[in-house]
Amino acid sequence: MSKPTANWEKVGDKFYRKIQLYTAVFDQDLELENYNVVGAPYSGAVAVYRDEEKLHTYRGPGVAKSSIDVYSCAGKLIRSINWDKGTIKGLGWSEDEKLLVVTEDGTVRCYYDLQGDFAPFTLGHDSDQHGVVSCRFYNTGFVALLGNNHLISVASYAEPRPKLLAIPPTEHVVSWNIIPPAYSLSRSVEVILAMGSTLYVVDATEAEDRNFDAGPFRHVSVSPRGEFLAFYTEDGKVWVVSGDWSEKLSEYDSRVKTVPKDMQWCGSNAVALAWEDEVHLIGPKSAATKFYYDTWVHLLPDVDGIRLLTNDVCEFIQKVPDETVEVFRLGSDSPAANLLEASSLLEQKSPKADDLIQLIRPNLAEAVDACIKAAAHEYNIHCQKSLLKAASYGKSVLDLYSSDDFVDTCDTLRVLNAVRFYEIGLPLSYDQYRRMTPEKLVERLTNRNEYLLALRVADYLHLPTSQIHGHWAQQKVRVSTDPEEEICNLIVKKLAGKPGVSFEEIARAAYDEGRIRLATSLLDHEPRAGKQVPLLLSMKEDTIALDKAIESGDTDLIFHVLLHLRKKLPLASFFRVINSRPVATALVESSARDQDTDLLKDLYYQDDRRLDGSALLISSALVQPSLSQSLDKLKLASKYLSDSRDPPAVFTRSAVDEAQRLLQMQTQFDKDLANARDIPNQSTAGTSLIGLSTNDTIFNLIKLGHQKRAQKVVNEFRVPDKTYTWIRLRALVAARLWVEIEEWGKQKKSPIGWEPFFNEVLAAGNARVASIFIPKCTSLTVSERVDMWVKCGLLVKAGEEAHKAKDRELLLSLRDKASGSAVVEIERLLGMLPQGRR
Amino acid sequence: MAPATPFNASEITEKARRDLLLLLEGIRGKKNLVLEKALAGPLNLLVKFSTLQEYGVDKPFFLENDNVDASQRNVVFLVRGEKANMVMKVADQIKRIRRESEIEHEFSIFWVPRRTIVSDQLLEDAGVLGEASVSEWPLFFVPLADDVLSLELDDAVSDLYLRKDPTSIYLAAKALMLQQRKHGLFPRIMGKGDNGKRLADLLIRMRTEVAAGEPSSNTGPSFLGLAPSTTIDSLIIIDREVDFPTVLLTQLTYEGLIDEVFNISANQTEVDSSVIGGVAPQPGQTGSASTRMKRKIMIDSKDTLYSDLGDANFAIVGSLLNKVARRLQSSTERNSLAAKTTSELRDFVARLPGYQAEQASLKLHTSLAEEIIKNTRTDTFTRCLEVQQNLTSGADPSTQHDLITELIDRGTPLPTILRLLCLESTTNAGIRPKDLDAFKRAIIQAFGPQHLLTLQSLEKMNLLTPRGGATLAGGTGSSVKPGSVTNYTPLRKTLRLWDDEVNEASPNDISYTFSGYAPLSVRIVQSIIHKHSLANTIKPPTPGAPLSSNPLAQGLRMFEDSSKYIRGATFNEVQTGNVSQKALKARQMLSGHGEGGKTVVVFFLGGVTRAEIAALRWVGRKLAESGGEGRGSRVVIAATNVLTGDGLVDGAIEKGVFKA
Repeated sequence: MSKPTANWEKVGDKFYRKIQLYTAVFDQDLELENYNVVGAPYSGAVAVYRDEEKLHTYRGPGVAKSSIDVYSCAGKLIRSINWDKGTIKGLGWSEDEKLLVVTEDGTVRCYYDLQGDFAPFTLGHDSDQHGVVSCRFYNTGFVALLGNNHLISVASYAEPRPKLLAIPPTEHVVSWNIIPPAYSLSRSVEVILAMGSTLYVVDATEAEDRNFDAGPFRHVSVSPRGEFLAFYTEDGKVWVVSGDWSEKLSEYDSRVKTVPKDMQWCGSNAVALAWEDEVHLIGPKSAATKFYYDTWVHLLPDVDGIRLLTNDVCEFIQKVPDETVEVFRLGSDSPAANLLEASSLLEQKSPKADDLIQLIRPNLAEAVDACIKAAAHEYNIHCQKSLLKAASYGKSVLDLYSSDDFVDTCDTLRVLNAVRFYEIGLPLSYDQYRRMTPEKLVERLTNRNEYLLALRVADYLHLPTSQIHGHWAQQKVRVSTDPEEEICNLIVKKLAGKPGVSFEEIARAAYDEGRIRLATSLLDHEPRAGKQVPLLLSMKEDTIALDKAIESGDTDLIFHVLLHLRKKLPLASFFRVINSRPVATALVESSARDQDTDLLKDLYYQDDRRLDGSALLISSALVQPSLSQSLDKLKLASKYLSDSRDPPAVFTRSAVDEAQRLLQMQTQFDKDLANARDIPNQSTAGTSLIGLSTNDTIFNLIKLGHQKRAQKVVNEFRVPDKTYTWIRLRALVAARLWVEIEEWGKQKKSPIGWEPFFNEVLAAGNARVASIFIPKCTSLTVSERVDMWVKCGLLVKAGEEAHKAKDRELLLSLRDKASGSAVVEIERLLGMLPQGRR
Repeated sequence: MAPATPFNASEITEKARRDLLLLLEGIRGKKNLVLEKALAGPLNLLVKFSTLQEYGVDKPFFLENDNVDASQRNVVFLVRGEKANMVMKVADQIKRIRRESEIEHEFSIFWVPRRTIVSDQLLEDAGVLGEASVSEWPLFFVPLADDVLSLELDDAVSDLYLRKDPTSIYLAAKALMLQQRKHGLFPRIMGKGDNGKRLADLLIRMRTEVAAGEPSSNTGPSFLGLAPSTTIDSLIIIDREVDFPTVLLTQLTYEGLIDEVFNISANQTEVDSSVIGGVAPQPGQTGSASTRMKRKIMIDSKDTLYSDLGDANFAIVGSLLNKVARRLQSSTERNSLAAKTTSELRDFVARLPGYQAEQASLKLHTSLAEEIIKNTRTDTFTRCLEVQQNLTSGADPSTQHDLITELIDRGTPLPTILRLLCLESTTNAGIRPKDLDAFKRAIIQAFGPQHLLTLQSLEKMNLLTPRGGATLAGGTGSSVKPGSVTNYTPLRKTLRLWDDEVNEASPNDISYTFSGYAPLSVRIVQSIIHKHSLANTIKPPTPGAPLSSNPLAQGLRMFEDSSKYIRGATFNEVQTGNVSQKALKARQMLSGHGEGGKTVVVFFLGGVTRAEIAALRWVGRKLAESGGEGRGSRVVIAATNVLTGDGLVDGAIEKGVFKA
């Protein structure tokens, strides 16, 4: 076994290691130098397509057909996508391994699984005229550069919404790159354009010149977390600048005349430059190391390192993790290194093992931790084992130690080793695995149709398996040639007792495949009613869809189905469908009331709901622009009810008729009053009576002094006496026609008694007139009447009232309230009372 | 308390706040915010306007005003997406701005509380879907106080009872489901009313769907989520339909009266500025700052003075205010005189801001109370109250007709009249057809022919119906069958809905909230969670017998007995989830919860009045004192909205008039 440090390289004071992941990756015939190669993040799949700008040997007509080939890191062909849709200007991956293909005319295809299914969309913003020049991708989106230097950003693939960024100058773009939104200061995507000798930073709102003069910059690269930027100048220098542009951190002179074909970050600490068969790795403080290859090499950057791909090998360069350095560095005397040594001595049954342990005893826990972490970062299974053994040994010596990390690491390593196996080809580093999350790993395995492994991993890590089963079932209905019934039974049997599987999705897959019957029988197994609706609709099972929507209780779904049905069905059959479903009818009614009264009218007519129909006519009468049209509508409403003998219908009809008469009278009055406008004392006129209620009409007429007309209304509508009295009283008070009220007060009786007169007049502030009515309130008690006098401020009168009733107490209390001459008067009255019981 | 308290107001507020700010953060640069008027109140409760400004909101506009200008590139719409006409309004405005403006705009739409398929469809038909980035702000419950959560669906009543549109049931189910997922299943769902039953069914249905949709072996929270909660005792659903009279009555608590007189929306009330002349302006208002005549006031339960006042009967508010005024005066005076040593002085000065705040609040509430007294002194008010008290205490309704007719003649506002008539109809299973027709005529004559529609709507809502005969207008609940109307006559006795010896100053029964009438809805809740005390209130125990021995309080007897007379379905579901009883017991033991600390959630479908909230708080306090009576003692009130009688009938009132 070679030493773990054999593949380490020292760059400055840091170590980097180059791990050989796979050998014999690609066919030797594949001329990798003529291909563009892009790799998905987190050691994902590699997409390869022929660079059209490069010449290639002609190998007969069959081979020339272009395609995008998707390989695993180990060179296993996962999928080959035939391509005849035009020139590819951008090819990239999202973090969940969606493959994006951007063509020159701005069409984007998003291949959402590795199976060749895609969702297309276009960039818009005149991209078809100016053409896409190139694209830069980040975890969840990308930015496209057009021929006219416009930049279009797409932030999500679930709902792609291409947005035009601020417009930069039209100079030639030498090179460019992006800072992903997650790491930019503005939290939205930023683009760095190298133009002329300077750099522009473009975001959604502005394009800012950064005022550099050392350009042109041939390459721009952004570190994985956006904390550093690297630029390659024309004269062969690499500049590293901090992400906030505040300081220049280092400068490295490559001393090479040719411009490298690629510059990428290797993790966040080093920059890799690639020429055809040479790679420079530049660490902090401009230290560098060089690697040489036999063939053309491609750089595939990742979050914590960089993958190098040639025809022969796939390698991974990363900074050696601190723990690993601690354990393996030559001459290391760290506790962890000693622990490892002790463990190997123990294996040799040497008593020195214990001496060593005792030596590092105070730092043992720390040493165990370091060994566990170092094991996690290790690719070599043998090293993993010895490190874990060392950790286990150390653990056994410690009295108290939480083994969670140890167990976790063992689990993780088992999974990692399994997926790193060349047939699977997912050479995840520990950090990548952590960052990607185990769930996503399972998803990737599922997408590669590695169901067994996916299930094993999910079970092992206690993750949900429903997605795997669902994916399997979908795949099954797509490719299986068994009879449909058999497929259905098989799927149902397999998935029984496994909640969380969406039968809807499986059924949809079957439906998309044209297997309608299978889809229907699968859909029956979907427990969520709401989920079934969209598929049922596309399967034209409209009434079932409606029933399911109602069952789900979600009004949105019901509306959705109803809208669909309304568009599709003739009116009569639409009504037939909703008639037997009260909820649907109610929803149709309530939405039609705002938007489609004609539909409502038809509905009521169809159902013979005359009262509702007339109500509809009345409400439409209310919104007519002119009165004559309103009257027409009312007439219609009345006619609509004319056949009905139902008491409510009769009542409504008479009310509607009355309303018409009232409106006609009001119109007449309006005309009359307009003619009489020039008569004095009519300055308050000018407002129309139309729209007022019967009572208010009378009120206004009286207020304006049209007693006769008011009386006419009263007679016409048989307004009760009491009501009329009240209205008249209020109107007179409102008009301050005190004389008339006084006059009225001379009558013997009033239908509502006289007390209201007192109250209303007093409330209007006329105590004098109010007091007239006090003596007329004969039904009230003395004290109440005394109160009334007091309210009018007439204490003497109050005193007289009390005196009349011979109420001494009342008089006494009045004396306390009185002032001035009233006191004297009350004293006098008091004196006149018999002294009685004193 | 180690596990999170369920239905925690501040937690819900915080989440809603975070969600919104996150959405706003997603849009770069300054933006104009267009929001639906109905959302202004909740928004104000959750986020201060200054915070919105920090997140780039430049100017707010109301959707209804259709006046958003082109001053900013970004335009954000914040609108409820359940109703088609709202969606159309958004589409129209986007089209208008696009047509009128010279610059290119970025439109974003945040649907509240969820993005609907229909909205997408409508936007697509209008040709604007591609232009706007659509997201959703899952705002369900808006906490109005620590124990009051509202969905703030102002249309819920008219939707449910007039248009029979079950959207609010679905939204309520979603909102409750969210809480269930967080805190575990409601171990028991009980309640009354047909719509309530639908809500309960929906909850159970959603549970199975969640179970089906969720991966089985997910560890941790969601596993717990399908097990009955250990912190919640039960969910009690009250369908408003069961108890309309309580809403129709004039509320007599202080808060209730503020709501009746000035109208509170989302803890804010608008008062004429002359009423509260000297009060310092309240910070944190959204919306139009230019309230010239009206002034917005926060009605806030965090105000210590108000928290004492709010739930008290208005009759004693005066003396309470008086007491506080005296205490404030004496404490400030005595302290300023006695403060001799410097430490005392420092102490005093430290407390000064508190005093000042209290003083300001005292001043505010004194002027509010004065204004309310002006209202309660009017003839109309006292007469209405008289009719209400007579009707609820069981007097013959026909004796009240003269009074009601007179009120109509006096020109009393329509909602007040309708409330009285509906009250009569709902407490007496309808009004005699002859009388009803007379009243209808009187109303049409007094208020205008358009109210023919109002009356029809009220009948559809089952608020104003002729007695005996089949209801009219399109088969909403056909003939009288058991459970189709609430029969108050036996209920008055079995649940003691009328209390003659009401004590407003130191309440001994919930009847204090209406000075005599004990709200039926709260009685139903009591018959479930507070049954021992209720039983003793109804039928005083023989002296010497233990408190809990009253036969009425056995099991659910009281609830089931009274349910017979109340309209609508009765339901009582136990949710056990997928966990065996044994595991459940074990978990309960482990979490170490006494039965007393559990939460009872009372959900009012179709709105709750402030007086009912006060009554339920009283029940909660009593429960806490007596240690819970075997069920929970923390009562949380949730509702689709907060309602007043005016609001209830307002849904039916036709607003249009005939025009020349």
